[in-house]
Amino acid sequence: MMRPFVEAIRTFRWEPFRSADLVERLGYASGYARNFLSQATRQGLLIVESKRGKKEKTFRANPGVVRDIVLRGGKEKTELLEALGLHSKFLGQYVALRGFSVVDHDADLYRLAERIFPDTEAQDDVVITSVGTPKKILTVEI
Amino acid sequence: MASQIGVGKCWAFKDDEQPPYPTIELIVSSADRKATISPKVDTGFNGSLAIGKEAVRKMRLTARGTVLIRAATGHSEVPVYAVKIYQPDLALSFTTLAIGTERSLAGRRLLENRTWLLDCKRRRFCITTPTSATND
Repeated sequence: MMRPFVEAIRTFRWEPFRSADLVERLGYASGYARNFLSQATRQGLLIVESKRGKKEKTFRANPGVVRDIVLRGGKEKTELLEALGLHSKFLGQYVALRGFSVVDHDADLYRLAERIFPDTEAQDDVVITSVGTPKKILTVEI
Repeated sequence: MASQIGVGKCWAFKDDEQPPYPTIELIVSSADRKATISPKVDTGFNGSLAIGKEAVRKMRLTARGTVLIRAATGHSEVPVYAVKIYQPDLALSFTTLAIGTERSLAGRRLLENRTWLLDCKRRRFCITTPTSATND
């Protein structure tokens, strides 16, 4: 489920797309595309954006899932950040994300945190993460 | 003029492992929850605070992100928490990010710009206080 979702983000970012776009742009079989859209919508990964006529729905990636994926970490997070184009722009840095948008970035985690979280309650819709291996990585010896 | 230092607040070494290790005492808060923790002083940690799982659970902290860190066993991805740190004896009161780890650690960012006494003979870790003016 995550792989086609990440592919959809890589291709369409947060622009709306149709089932036919998955077939045309990503080469998916139409049945596979329909199943993906159905499951991803149920799981909250996609939002049904609008209807064009009776059958042709458009979908958009749900920005709310970025936070969940970042907090889960691991390979899915890495793939998502790469699909969002962050590896090419912010490799080795820390970024603050609100949905798909980078609201701030810094090579120093604490400088970024001072700006984003001036108090413990601030901006609870923003998540901070590292893109790749940070140049100023935190090191714990034990 | 020769410099002299006095000994201020001290924290006893913890001896739940051998050899005993230095700790300091911090009050950590987030939202309306507060906890007193005694993180191990880890000069190999270049951050400010690592907060152990027990304190995270007790304070019901919510992760504000995940970052890659380098540990002795290799790279690891850990959660980060926005917390406020108080330490009246050090006149510390600020909000920072704490990384989530197995045990609580106080890193170099908390220790910097102060002079410390690692008193292994008396098994205590102390902040020093100047007792006379110095020229150095």
